[in-house]
Amino acid sequence: MGTSITTWENATAYFTFADNPAALVFFALGSAGIVIGLIATIIQHENEAFKKIKK
Amino acid sequence: MDETIPLSLESLQAQIATQQSTFEMHQAMNVEVFYWWCTAIMLMIHAGFLAYEMGASRSKNALAAGVKNILALACIIPTFYLFGWWIYNAFPNGLIPIDASGALPWAASMGPDLSDMGTGIFWAAFALFGATTGSILSGAVIERIRVSAFLILTVFLGSAVWILAGAWGWHPDGWLLTELGYHDVGASGVVHAVAGFFTLGVLINLGARTGKFIDGVPQTIAPHNLPMTLIGLMMIIFGFFGFLGGCIIFNGGDLGWTTIYNTPTNLSAFAFNTLMGFSGGVIGCYIATRDPFWTMSGGLVGIISVAAGLDLYSPTLAFMIAVSMGFVAVGFAKFLEKRGIDDAVGAVSVHGFTGFVAVILVGVFAGGTPNVNGSPDITLYGQTLSAIIMALVGFIPGYGLSLLLKKFNSLRVPPEAEVLGIDEVEMLAKPYPEATTPASKESEVPNKLANTEPQGA
Repeated sequence: MGTSITTWENATAYFTFADNPAALVFFALGSAGIVIGLIATIIQHENEAFKKIKK
Repeated sequence: MDETIPLSLESLQAQIATQQSTFEMHQAMNVEVFYWWCTAIMLMIHAGFLAYEMGASRSKNALAAGVKNILALACIIPTFYLFGWWIYNAFPNGLIPIDASGALPWAASMGPDLSDMGTGIFWAAFALFGATTGSILSGAVIERIRVSAFLILTVFLGSAVWILAGAWGWHPDGWLLTELGYHDVGASGVVHAVAGFFTLGVLINLGARTGKFIDGVPQTIAPHNLPMTLIGLMMIIFGFFGFLGGCIIFNGGDLGWTTIYNTPTNLSAFAFNTLMGFSGGVIGCYIATRDPFWTMSGGLVGIISVAAGLDLYSPTLAFMIAVSMGFVAVGFAKFLEKRGIDDAVGAVSVHGFTGFVAVILVGVFAGGTPNVNGSPDITLYGQTLSAIIMALVGFIPGYGLSLLLKKFNSLRVPPEAEVLGIDEVEMLAKPYPEATTPASKESEVPNKLANTEPQGA
Protein backbone atom coordinates (compact mmCIF):
# COMPACT_ATOMS: atom_id res chain seq x y z
CA MET A 1 0.00 0.00 0.00
CA GLY A 2 2.88 2.36 0.58
CA THR A 3 4.72 1.89 -2.69
CA SER A 4 5.28 5.03 -4.69
CA ILE A 5 5.90 3.45 -8.10
CA THR A 6 3.99 1.28 -10.52
CA THR A 7 6.83 0.71 -13.00
CA TRP A 8 10.65 0.73 -12.96
CA GLU A 9 10.68 2.78 -16.16
CA ASN A 10 12.22 6.19 -15.34
CA ALA A 11 11.84 5.47 -11.61
CA THR A 12 13.57 7.97 -9.29
CA ALA A 13 12.63 8.11 -5.58
CA TYR A 14 10.88 4.78 -5.33
CA PHE A 15 10.78 4.16 -1.60
CA THR A 16 7.53 3.67 0.26
CA PHE A 17 5.50 6.87 0.64
CA ALA A 18 8.07 8.88 -1.38
CA ASP A 19 5.13 10.56 -3.08
CA ASN A 20 3.31 11.27 0.16
CA PRO A 21 5.08 13.98 2.20
CA ALA A 22 2.40 13.93 4.89
CA ALA A 23 3.13 10.28 5.58
CA LEU A 24 6.89 10.96 5.65
CA VAL A 25 6.40 13.82 8.10
CA PHE A 26 4.33 11.48 10.25
CA PHE A 27 7.06 8.84 10.19
CA ALA A 28 9.71 11.47 10.97
CA LEU A 29 7.74 12.65 13.98
CA GLY A 30 7.27 9.04 15.04
CA SER A 31 11.01 8.41 14.78
CA ALA A 32 11.74 11.51 16.84
CA GLY A 33 9.19 10.31 19.37
CA ILE A 34 10.95 6.96 19.67
CA VAL A 35 14.30 8.61 20.49
CA ILE A 36 12.65 10.94 23.00
CA GLY A 37 10.69 8.00 24.42
CA LEU A 38 13.88 5.97 24.79
CA ILE A 39 15.51 8.70 26.84
CA ALA A 40 12.32 9.14 28.87
CA THR A 41 12.24 5.44 29.73
CA ILE A 42 15.91 5.54 30.73
CA ILE A 43 15.20 8.50 33.03
CA GLN A 44 12.31 6.56 34.58
CA HIS A 45 14.45 3.45 34.98
CA GLU A 46 17.26 5.46 36.55
CA ASN A 47 14.94 7.19 38.98
CA GLU A 48 13.55 3.85 40.12
CA ALA A 49 16.98 2.23 40.33
CA PHE A 50 18.49 5.10 42.31
CA LYS A 51 15.49 5.27 44.62
CA LYS A 52 16.08 1.65 45.68
CA ILE A 53 19.60 2.34 46.91
CA LYS A 54 19.02 5.72 48.52
CA LYS A 55 19.95 5.66 52.17
CA MET B 1 37.54 -14.55 -44.09
CA ASP B 2 36.48 -11.75 -41.75
CA GLU B 3 33.87 -9.46 -43.02
CA THR B 4 34.46 -5.84 -42.02
CA ILE B 5 31.35 -3.83 -41.39
CA PRO B 6 31.90 -0.21 -42.34
CA LEU B 7 31.30 2.19 -39.43
CA SER B 8 29.23 5.24 -40.03
CA LEU B 9 29.70 8.47 -38.13
CA GLU B 10 26.32 7.93 -36.49
CA SER B 11 27.20 4.45 -35.27
CA LEU B 12 30.53 5.71 -33.86
CA GLN B 13 28.75 8.51 -32.06
CA ALA B 14 26.26 6.02 -30.64
CA GLN B 15 29.08 3.78 -29.42
CA ILE B 16 30.86 6.69 -27.79
CA ALA B 17 27.65 7.81 -26.14
CA THR B 18 27.06 4.30 -24.79
CA GLN B 19 30.63 4.07 -23.47
CA GLN B 20 30.33 7.52 -21.93
CA SER B 21 27.12 6.54 -20.20
CA THR B 22 28.68 3.32 -18.94
CA PHE B 23 31.76 5.18 -17.72
CA GLU B 24 29.70 7.77 -15.86
CA MET B 25 27.57 5.10 -14.21
CA HIS B 26 30.66 3.21 -13.06
CA GLN B 27 32.25 6.42 -11.85
CA ALA B 28 29.15 7.19 -9.78
CA MET B 29 29.21 3.64 -8.45
CA ASN B 30 32.89 4.02 -7.54
CA VAL B 31 32.05 7.12 -5.53
CA GLU B 32 29.44 5.17 -3.64
CA VAL B 33 31.77 2.23 -3.12
CA PHE B 34 34.52 4.48 -1.76
CA TYR B 35 32.34 6.19 0.85
CA TRP B 36 30.52 2.96 1.68
CA TRP B 37 33.81 1.41 2.84
CA CYS B 38 34.96 4.60 4.50
CA THR B 39 31.77 4.48 6.56
CA ALA B 40 32.24 0.82 7.36
CA ILE B 41 35.82 1.40 8.47
CA MET B 42 34.66 4.35 10.55
CA LEU B 43 32.51 1.98 12.58
CA MET B 44 35.79 0.60 13.88
CA ILE B 45 36.23 3.93 15.67
CA HIS B 46 33.15 3.11 17.70
CA ALA B 47 34.23 -0.45 18.35
CA GLY B 48 37.49 1.05 19.58
CA PHE B 49 35.83 3.64 21.79
CA LEU B 50 33.63 0.88 23.20
CA ALA B 51 36.64 -1.23 24.12
CA TYR B 52 38.77 1.54 25.51
CA GLU B 53 36.04 3.17 27.58
CA MET B 54 35.02 -0.14 29.09
CA GLY B 55 38.66 -0.92 29.80
CA ALA B 56 39.27 2.54 31.27
CA SER B 57 36.40 2.11 33.72
CA ARG B 58 36.65 0.24 36.95
CA SER B 59 35.01 -3.17 36.64
CA LYS B 60 31.94 -1.97 38.54
CA ASN B 61 31.17 0.52 35.77
CA ALA B 62 32.43 -1.33 32.69
CA LEU B 63 29.04 -2.25 31.26
CA ALA B 64 27.53 1.17 31.91
CA ALA B 65 30.40 2.75 30.01
CA GLY B 66 29.84 0.36 27.13
CA VAL B 67 26.05 0.57 26.98
CA LYS B 68 26.02 4.35 26.92
CA ASN B 69 28.49 4.25 24.06
CA ILE B 70 26.32 1.83 22.07
CA LEU B 71 23.19 3.89 22.77
CA ALA B 72 24.99 7.05 21.67
CA LEU B 73 25.58 5.54 18.26
CA ALA B 74 21.99 4.33 18.09
CA CYS B 75 20.58 7.76 18.98
CA ILE B 76 22.90 9.95 16.90
CA ILE B 77 22.18 8.08 13.66
CA PRO B 78 18.39 8.71 13.58
CA THR B 79 18.67 12.23 14.96
CA PHE B 80 21.34 13.08 12.41
CA TYR B 81 18.88 11.86 9.80
CA LEU B 82 16.06 13.91 11.28
CA PHE B 83 17.89 17.23 11.64
CA GLY B 84 21.69 16.92 11.51
CA TRP B 85 21.99 16.69 7.74
CA TRP B 86 19.60 19.61 7.35
CA ILE B 87 21.70 21.74 9.72
CA TYR B 88 24.80 21.08 7.62
CA ASN B 89 23.06 22.14 4.41
CA ALA B 90 21.09 25.04 5.88
CA PHE B 91 23.68 26.99 7.89
CA PRO B 92 26.83 27.64 5.81
CA ASN B 93 26.24 31.40 6.18
CA GLY B 94 26.04 31.51 9.97
CA LEU B 95 22.89 31.31 12.05
CA ILE B 96 20.39 32.31 9.35
CA PRO B 97 19.30 29.19 7.46
CA ILE B 98 19.21 28.99 3.69
CA ASP B 99 16.83 26.76 1.77
CA ALA B 100 17.88 23.15 2.30
CA SER B 101 14.55 21.42 1.86
CA GLY B 102 16.25 18.58 0.01
CA ALA B 103 17.94 17.59 3.27
CA LEU B 104 14.78 17.39 5.33
CA PRO B 105 13.73 13.88 6.39
CA TRP B 106 10.70 13.93 4.10
CA ALA B 107 12.64 14.91 0.96
CA ALA B 108 12.83 12.52 -1.99
CA SER B 109 16.63 12.45 -1.85
CA MET B 110 16.59 11.26 1.79
CA GLY B 111 15.71 7.70 0.82
CA PRO B 112 16.21 5.14 -1.94
CA ASP B 113 16.34 7.28 -5.08
CA LEU B 114 17.67 5.98 -8.39
CA SER B 115 18.47 9.51 -9.55
CA ASP B 116 20.64 10.34 -6.52
CA MET B 117 23.79 8.31 -5.92
CA GLY B 118 25.39 10.75 -3.51
CA THR B 119 23.14 11.95 -0.72
CA GLY B 120 22.74 8.68 1.15
CA ILE B 121 26.38 7.78 1.18
CA PHE B 122 27.50 11.29 2.22
CA TRP B 123 24.80 11.38 4.89
CA ALA B 124 26.09 8.06 6.24
CA ALA B 125 29.69 9.28 6.42
CA PHE B 126 28.65 12.50 8.16
CA ALA B 127 26.42 10.61 10.59
CA LEU B 128 29.44 8.56 11.61
CA PHE B 129 31.52 11.74 12.01
CA GLY B 130 28.78 12.92 14.34
CA ALA B 131 28.89 9.67 16.26
CA THR B 132 32.63 10.16 16.70
CA THR B 133 32.01 13.46 18.47
CA GLY B 134 29.59 11.66 20.79
CA SER B 135 32.21 9.05 21.58
CA ILE B 136 34.80 11.73 22.36
CA LEU B 137 32.47 13.03 25.06
CA SER B 138 31.61 9.53 26.21
CA GLY B 139 35.02 8.52 27.50
CA ALA B 140 35.66 11.63 29.57
CA VAL B 141 32.48 11.35 31.65
CA ILE B 142 32.56 7.67 32.56
CA GLU B 143 31.70 6.32 35.99
CA ARG B 144 29.47 9.15 37.23
CA ILE B 145 27.23 10.57 34.50
CA ARG B 146 23.63 9.43 34.17
CA VAL B 147 23.09 7.50 30.95
CA SER B 148 20.01 9.63 30.19
CA ALA B 149 21.93 12.88 30.63
CA PHE B 150 24.75 11.58 28.50
CA LEU B 151 22.35 10.67 25.69
CA ILE B 152 20.75 14.13 25.73
CA LEU B 153 24.20 15.72 25.61
CA THR B 154 25.57 13.40 22.97
CA VAL B 155 22.59 13.84 20.64
CA PHE B 156 22.95 17.59 21.00
CA LEU B 157 26.66 17.40 20.24
CA GLY B 158 26.58 14.70 17.57
CA SER B 159 23.53 15.82 15.63
CA ALA B 160 23.50 19.59 16.11
CA VAL B 161 26.55 21.32 17.60
CA TRP B 162 29.43 19.86 15.62
CA ILE B 163 27.53 19.89 12.35
CA LEU B 164 26.79 23.59 12.78
CA ALA B 165 30.55 24.07 13.03
CA GLY B 166 30.82 21.76 10.03
CA ALA B 167 28.45 23.95 8.03
CA TRP B 168 30.63 26.96 8.85
CA GLY B 169 34.06 25.43 8.35
CA TRP B 170 33.71 22.16 6.50
CA HIS B 171 31.41 23.11 3.63
CA PRO B 172 32.37 24.50 0.23
CA ASP B 173 30.29 27.61 0.99
CA GLY B 174 30.93 27.82 4.73
CA TRP B 175 31.48 31.37 5.93
CA LEU B 176 34.72 30.53 7.72
CA LEU B 177 36.13 29.47 4.34
CA THR B 178 34.68 32.30 2.30
CA GLU B 179 35.54 35.01 4.86
CA LEU B 180 38.67 33.71 6.60
CA GLY B 181 40.11 31.10 4.23
CA TYR B 182 39.65 28.40 6.90
CA HIS B 183 41.51 25.17 6.23
CA ASP B 184 40.81 22.00 8.21
CA VAL B 185 40.73 19.09 5.79
CA GLY B 186 40.86 16.32 8.38
CA ALA B 187 38.39 17.90 10.83
CA SER B 188 40.82 18.75 13.62
CA GLY B 189 38.63 21.75 14.40
CA VAL B 190 35.10 20.88 13.35
CA VAL B 191 35.10 17.43 14.95
CA HIS B 192 37.88 17.21 17.53
CA ALA B 193 38.14 20.75 18.89
CA VAL B 194 34.36 21.18 18.99
CA ALA B 195 33.78 17.85 20.74
CA GLY B 196 36.72 18.33 23.09
CA PHE B 197 35.63 21.75 24.29
CA PHE B 198 32.01 20.63 24.53
CA THR B 199 33.36 17.89 26.80
CA LEU B 200 35.23 20.43 28.91
CA GLY B 201 32.01 22.36 29.44
CA VAL B 202 30.27 19.20 30.59
CA LEU B 203 33.13 18.14 32.88
CA ILE B 204 33.06 21.46 34.72
CA ASN B 205 29.45 20.88 35.71
CA LEU B 206 29.70 17.13 36.16
CA GLY B 207 32.57 17.19 38.65
CA ALA B 208 35.21 14.61 39.42
CA ARG B 209 34.66 10.97 40.25
CA THR B 210 34.42 10.32 43.97
CA GLY B 211 37.92 9.64 45.19
CA LYS B 212 39.69 11.28 42.29
CA PHE B 213 40.89 14.13 44.49
CA ILE B 214 41.72 13.47 48.13
CA ASP B 215 42.54 16.65 50.03
CA GLY B 216 42.97 18.23 46.66
CA VAL B 217 45.61 15.75 45.52
CA PRO B 218 44.74 13.88 42.31
CA GLN B 219 44.63 10.12 42.70
CA THR B 220 45.08 7.34 40.19
CA ILE B 221 41.82 5.62 39.34
CA ALA B 222 43.32 2.75 37.44
CA PRO B 223 41.58 1.23 34.41
CA HIS B 224 40.26 -2.23 35.23
CA ASN B 225 41.60 -3.54 31.91
CA LEU B 226 44.46 -1.53 30.53
CA PRO B 227 45.23 -3.97 27.71
CA MET B 228 41.67 -3.56 26.44
CA THR B 229 42.10 0.21 26.38
CA LEU B 230 45.25 -0.15 24.28
CA ILE B 231 43.56 -2.46 21.80
CA GLY B 232 40.58 -0.12 21.67
CA LEU B 233 42.79 2.85 20.90
CA MET B 234 44.50 0.94 18.11
CA MET B 235 41.06 0.10 16.69
CA ILE B 236 40.30 3.83 16.69
CA ILE B 237 43.50 4.43 14.72
CA PHE B 238 42.33 1.85 12.18
CA GLY B 239 38.96 3.57 11.99
CA PHE B 240 40.68 6.87 11.36
CA PHE B 241 41.56 5.70 7.87
CA GLY B 242 37.84 5.52 7.12
CA PHE B 243 37.30 8.86 8.83
CA LEU B 244 40.05 10.63 6.89
CA GLY B 245 39.08 8.90 3.65
CA GLY B 246 35.61 10.31 4.20
CA CYS B 247 37.16 13.78 4.47
CA ILE B 248 38.37 13.79 0.86
CA ILE B 249 36.06 14.42 -2.09
CA PHE B 250 35.86 11.79 -4.83
CA ASN B 251 34.79 13.88 -7.81
CA GLY B 252 33.25 12.74 -11.04
CA GLY B 253 34.61 13.86 -14.40
CA ASP B 254 38.32 14.55 -14.78
CA LEU B 255 38.68 16.60 -11.61
CA GLY B 256 40.03 13.80 -9.43
CA TRP B 257 40.39 14.08 -5.66
CA THR B 258 39.85 17.41 -3.95
CA THR B 259 39.62 18.59 -0.39
CA ILE B 260 36.24 19.58 0.95
CA TYR B 261 37.27 23.12 0.00
CA ASN B 262 37.64 22.10 -3.68
CA THR B 263 41.43 22.48 -3.63
CA PRO B 264 43.33 19.66 -5.36
CA THR B 265 44.80 16.83 -3.30
CA ASN B 266 44.97 13.04 -3.32
CA LEU B 267 44.97 10.03 -1.03
CA SER B 268 48.75 9.79 -1.25
CA ALA B 269 49.05 13.11 0.55
CA PHE B 270 46.72 11.87 3.28
CA ALA B 271 48.61 8.58 3.55
CA PHE B 272 52.02 10.22 4.04
CA ASN B 273 50.92 12.55 6.79
CA THR B 274 48.41 10.34 8.59
CA LEU B 275 51.05 7.70 9.22
CA MET B 276 53.82 10.15 10.02
CA GLY B 277 51.47 11.94 12.42
CA PHE B 278 50.55 8.69 14.13
CA SER B 279 54.19 7.75 14.66
CA GLY B 280 55.16 11.17 15.94
CA GLY B 281 52.32 11.32 18.42
CA VAL B 282 53.14 7.91 19.88
CA ILE B 283 56.80 8.85 20.28
CA GLY B 284 56.03 12.22 21.83
CA CYS B 285 53.55 10.88 24.37
CA TYR B 286 55.77 7.92 25.24
CA ILE B 287 58.76 10.10 25.97
CA ALA B 288 56.60 12.54 27.91
CA THR B 289 54.95 9.92 30.15
CA ARG B 290 56.30 6.34 29.71
CA ASP B 291 52.67 5.50 30.38
CA PRO B 292 50.96 2.77 28.29
CA PHE B 293 47.61 4.54 28.02
CA TRP B 294 49.17 7.84 27.00
CA THR B 295 51.57 6.14 24.60
CA MET B 296 48.66 4.69 22.67
CA SER B 297 46.64 7.90 23.01
CA GLY B 298 49.64 9.56 21.41
CA GLY B 299 48.65 7.97 18.13
CA LEU B 300 45.42 9.93 18.26
CA VAL B 301 47.19 13.10 19.33
CA GLY B 302 49.59 12.76 16.42
CA ILE B 303 46.96 12.23 13.74
CA ILE B 304 44.67 14.96 15.08
CA SER B 305 47.59 17.40 15.33
CA VAL B 306 48.27 17.16 11.59
CA ALA B 307 44.77 16.36 10.31
CA ALA B 308 43.88 19.97 9.55
CA GLY B 309 46.81 20.23 7.14
CA LEU B 310 47.10 16.65 5.91
CA ASP B 311 47.10 17.84 2.32
CA LEU B 312 49.74 20.53 2.80
CA TYR B 313 52.45 19.37 5.19
CA SER B 314 55.72 17.75 4.30
CA PRO B 315 55.73 14.35 6.03
CA THR B 316 58.76 15.16 8.18
CA LEU B 317 57.14 18.39 9.32
CA ALA B 318 53.99 16.42 10.15
CA PHE B 319 56.12 14.00 12.15
CA MET B 320 57.76 16.80 14.12
CA ILE B 321 54.47 18.55 14.76
CA ALA B 322 53.03 15.30 16.07
CA VAL B 323 56.01 14.60 18.36
CA SER B 324 55.80 18.11 19.76
CA MET B 325 52.05 17.90 20.24
CA GLY B 326 52.54 14.65 22.14
CA PHE B 327 54.42 16.62 24.78
CA VAL B 328 52.08 19.58 24.70
CA ALA B 329 48.94 17.46 24.97
CA VAL B 330 50.30 15.70 28.05
CA GLY B 331 51.13 19.08 29.53
CA PHE B 332 47.62 20.32 28.91
CA ALA B 333 46.16 17.21 30.56
CA LYS B 334 48.28 17.98 33.65
CA PHE B 335 47.12 21.57 33.53
CA LEU B 336 43.46 20.47 33.57
CA GLU B 337 44.04 18.02 36.40
CA LYS B 338 45.70 20.75 38.43
CA ARG B 339 42.46 22.66 38.16
CA GLY B 340 40.36 19.80 39.44
CA ILE B 341 39.03 18.61 36.07
CA ASP B 342 38.62 14.83 36.05
CA ASP B 343 38.85 13.83 32.41
CA ALA B 344 38.97 10.04 32.69
CA VAL B 345 40.57 9.46 29.29
CA GLY B 346 42.20 12.77 28.50
CA ALA B 347 39.66 13.58 25.80
CA VAL B 348 39.77 17.34 26.27
CA SER B 349 43.50 17.36 25.75
CA VAL B 350 43.75 14.66 23.07
CA HIS B 351 40.85 15.92 20.98
CA GLY B 352 39.93 19.43 22.07
CA PHE B 353 43.25 21.10 22.76
CA THR B 354 45.15 19.19 20.07
CA GLY B 355 42.45 19.93 17.49
CA PHE B 356 42.48 23.60 18.49
CA VAL B 357 46.26 23.90 18.11
CA ALA B 358 46.20 21.86 14.89
CA VAL B 359 43.97 24.44 13.22
CA ILE B 360 46.32 27.27 14.24
CA LEU B 361 49.39 25.35 13.06
CA VAL B 362 48.04 25.33 9.51
CA GLY B 363 48.22 29.10 9.65
CA VAL B 364 51.77 28.95 11.00
CA PHE B 365 53.19 26.48 8.49
CA ALA B 366 50.93 26.82 5.46
CA GLY B 367 49.90 30.47 5.63
CA GLY B 368 49.65 32.03 2.20
CA THR B 369 48.41 28.85 0.52
CA PRO B 370 45.72 29.91 -1.95
CA ASN B 371 42.13 28.78 -1.88
CA VAL B 372 39.86 28.56 -4.93
CA ASN B 373 36.55 30.08 -6.02
CA GLY B 374 37.42 33.48 -4.59
CA SER B 375 37.98 32.44 -0.97
CA PRO B 376 40.87 34.21 0.77
CA ASP B 377 44.27 32.58 1.25
CA ILE B 378 45.04 30.62 4.38
CA THR B 379 46.35 32.98 7.09
CA LEU B 380 47.49 32.67 10.68
CA TYR B 381 44.87 35.24 11.65
CA GLY B 382 42.07 33.33 9.91
CA GLN B 383 43.13 30.00 11.39
CA THR B 384 43.53 31.41 14.91
CA LEU B 385 40.18 33.17 14.86
CA SER B 386 38.53 30.06 13.43
CA ALA B 387 40.09 27.85 16.13
CA ILE B 388 38.69 30.15 18.81
CA ILE B 389 35.27 30.00 17.15
CA MET B 390 35.43 26.19 17.06
CA ALA B 391 36.31 26.04 20.75
CA LEU B 392 33.47 28.39 21.67
CA VAL B 393 30.95 26.59 19.45
CA GLY B 394 31.79 23.48 21.43
CA PHE B 395 32.24 24.88 24.92
CA ILE B 396 29.21 27.17 25.24
CA PRO B 397 26.51 24.59 24.37
CA GLY B 398 28.26 21.88 26.38
CA TYR B 399 28.53 24.05 29.45
CA GLY B 400 25.03 25.48 29.08
CA LEU B 401 23.13 22.24 28.55
CA SER B 402 25.02 20.35 31.26
CA LEU B 403 24.41 23.23 33.68
CA LEU B 404 20.70 22.99 32.91
CA LEU B 405 20.72 19.23 33.55
CA LYS B 406 22.63 19.82 36.78
CA LYS B 407 20.03 22.35 37.94
CA PHE B 408 17.38 19.66 37.51
CA ASN B 409 19.57 17.16 39.39
CA SER B 410 19.64 15.02 36.24
CA LEU B 411 23.32 15.09 35.33
CA ARG B 412 25.07 12.83 37.78
CA VAL B 413 24.27 9.52 39.44
CA PRO B 414 23.71 9.64 43.23
CA PRO B 415 26.79 9.05 45.44
CA GLU B 416 25.41 5.68 46.55
CA ALA B 417 25.26 4.47 42.94
CA GLU B 418 28.76 5.69 42.32
CA VAL B 419 30.06 3.70 45.28
CA LEU B 420 28.18 0.52 44.40
CA GLY B 421 28.86 0.85 40.70
CA ILE B 422 26.48 1.84 37.94
CA ASP B 423 26.45 -1.68 36.49
CA GLU B 424 24.89 -3.18 39.59
CA VAL B 425 22.47 -0.33 40.18
CA GLU B 426 21.33 0.58 36.70
CA MET B 427 22.54 -2.06 34.27
CA LEU B 428 21.46 -4.89 36.56
CA ALA B 429 24.38 -6.92 35.28
CA LYS B 430 27.98 -7.69 36.14
CA PRO B 431 30.73 -7.68 33.55
CA TYR B 432 32.65 -10.48 35.23
CA PRO B 433 30.15 -12.41 37.36
CA GLU B 434 32.62 -15.15 38.27
CA ALA B 435 35.37 -12.75 39.29
CA THR B 436 35.93 -11.36 42.74
CA THR B 437 38.13 -8.44 41.78
CA PRO B 438 37.26 -5.55 44.07
CA ALA B 439 36.82 -2.10 42.60
CA SER B 440 39.24 0.22 44.29
CA LYS B 441 39.65 3.93 43.93
CA GLU B 442 43.33 3.86 44.70
CA SER B 443 46.09 2.02 42.98
CA GLU B 444 49.62 1.01 43.81
CA VAL B 445 50.62 2.19 40.37
CA PRO B 446 51.97 5.73 40.59
CA ASN B 447 50.03 8.39 38.76
CA LYS B 448 52.51 9.74 36.24
CA LEU B 449 50.36 12.76 35.57
CA ALA B 450 49.68 13.48 39.22
CA ASN B 451 50.59 16.83 40.63
CA THR B 452 52.42 16.96 43.88
CA GLU B 453 50.62 19.92 45.33
CA PRO B 454 47.05 19.71 46.65
CA GLN B 455 44.73 20.82 43.87
CA GLY B 456 41.14 20.83 42.76
CA ALA B 457 37.92 19.99 44.48
